[in-house]
Amino acid sequence: MPNEAVPKSAKASASPQTSHITRYAVPYFPGCALKDQAVGFERSARAALLRLGWELKELPRWNCCGTVYSLSTDDLMRHVAPVRNFIRVQEMGEERFVALCAMCYNTLKRSARFVAADLGRLSRINAFMDEEPDYRGGVEVLHLLQFLRDEIGFEEIESRVEKPLYGLKVAPYYGCMLLRPREVGIDHPDAPETMELLFEHLGAEAVNSPHKVECCGAYQTVANPGVVRERVREIVGAVARRDADLIVTSCPLCTYNLERHQLSITGEEKTRHGIPILYFTQLLGFALGVPEGELGLGGAAIDPRPALSQLVGG
Amino acid sequence: MVERIDGDALRVIRDAGMGSANPPSCVTRHPLRISSGEPDFVRRVEELSGEAVFACYQCGKCSAGCTFTSGMDLLPAEVMRLLQLGDERVLKSVSPWVCASCLACEVRCPKGVDIAKVMEALRLLDLRKGETGLRWREIPPGVPQIALVGATRKLTP
Repeated sequence: MPNEAVPKSAKASASPQTSHITRYAVPYFPGCALKDQAVGFERSARAALLRLGWELKELPRWNCCGTVYSLSTDDLMRHVAPVRNFIRVQEMGEERFVALCAMCYNTLKRSARFVAADLGRLSRINAFMDEEPDYRGGVEVLHLLQFLRDEIGFEEIESRVEKPLYGLKVAPYYGCMLLRPREVGIDHPDAPETMELLFEHLGAEAVNSPHKVECCGAYQTVANPGVVRERVREIVGAVARRDADLIVTSCPLCTYNLERHQLSITGEEKTRHGIPILYFTQLLGFALGVPEGELGLGGAAIDPRPALSQLVGG
Repeated sequence: MVERIDGDALRVIRDAGMGSANPPSCVTRHPLRISSGEPDFVRRVEELSGEAVFACYQCGKCSAGCTFTSGMDLLPAEVMRLLQLGDERVLKSVSPWVCASCLACEVRCPKGVDIAKVMEALRLLDLRKGETGLRWREIPPGVPQIALVGATRKLTP
């Protein structure tokens, strides 16, 4: 089915990598985790998007977003890294880009708003980065979930599903950075439904878990791992009691915490017990018929393939 | 790492907070300039955070929704109350160091106070003196760079 709701900024592009016709491209910021610890996130996103006719066009010379947003009033330096990435988007002749990692999305989106709110801040940052062209403002930061929902559309995605996920019980885990603060959240901060709707359009059953918008502990896994372990016990425990087959996230740090601390609780490595953690792009790609080898499922600490193979068999 | 506040002192603080005869002087959503009678550190926290600590009316929603209170010696609302009272014991609290900036309090505060910013300001008071909240030798093996960068940005000078 042709996608009618195509923005003016979308550009036609041919891709030799797939038999599916790629008609559009959107700039894309990967971030550190997607090149290392979460390669399956990027691979599956690229493969799934190609099936939907979109190419993710990686920003040239992108740099670390800073991971966490500075919450102080006087710390302009922390906004230099995001602004430098916005300049890369500007150089591509584009006005927007998508991020996959929820932490990157949040940090970049908040910085974009921070410099847009006060031109004095922006001119000081521009003056500091005298080796770069000035950032003129106006670059829009999108999360891929937003892009799937608002631009491609879940109905369109449903029409492309090759392997419906009938019978699969999937618990979404939003965490913090997709939803808070309100002005950058992609959905309601306490009662989001974007992932639930996506899963249902893929044929799966969305499992409602009470802790889906709560923090996993994030970077406190470095300084206070005990506190994070307690969080994970609660989050995963509630999902397990609801008989979910999988937990789905959009954040490499959530994924790390939910996997590692589950394993430290059960004391097992590479176990088939425990609840596997998938990125939403891996679930999407699987339903769209992306070959398993392109989804990066083997990198997961808790193997999700047994849960998914029940679908293929049945 | 900062010391924990002992239990008796904490109870005194809690009692004082709950039954205060002096209600917050102002309930504006905007940062306010506080009087010169307030201790410097309170003014500094307001400057660094851009938040009005006297806007808090102690409803406790932040404390109720905070998922890290098991590791805290002061609940988020107690941190706010001690700041309002100008009580320096807030500067010794571990709570700002356990806060993960998840912003659950921020989206729920009925007075629009971004408590995560207040917590960051309290950390910065120490960090900008060169103190650190991260003991390098105790970092668990195998933590990914996303966690390390996040932690060093929040917990080291």
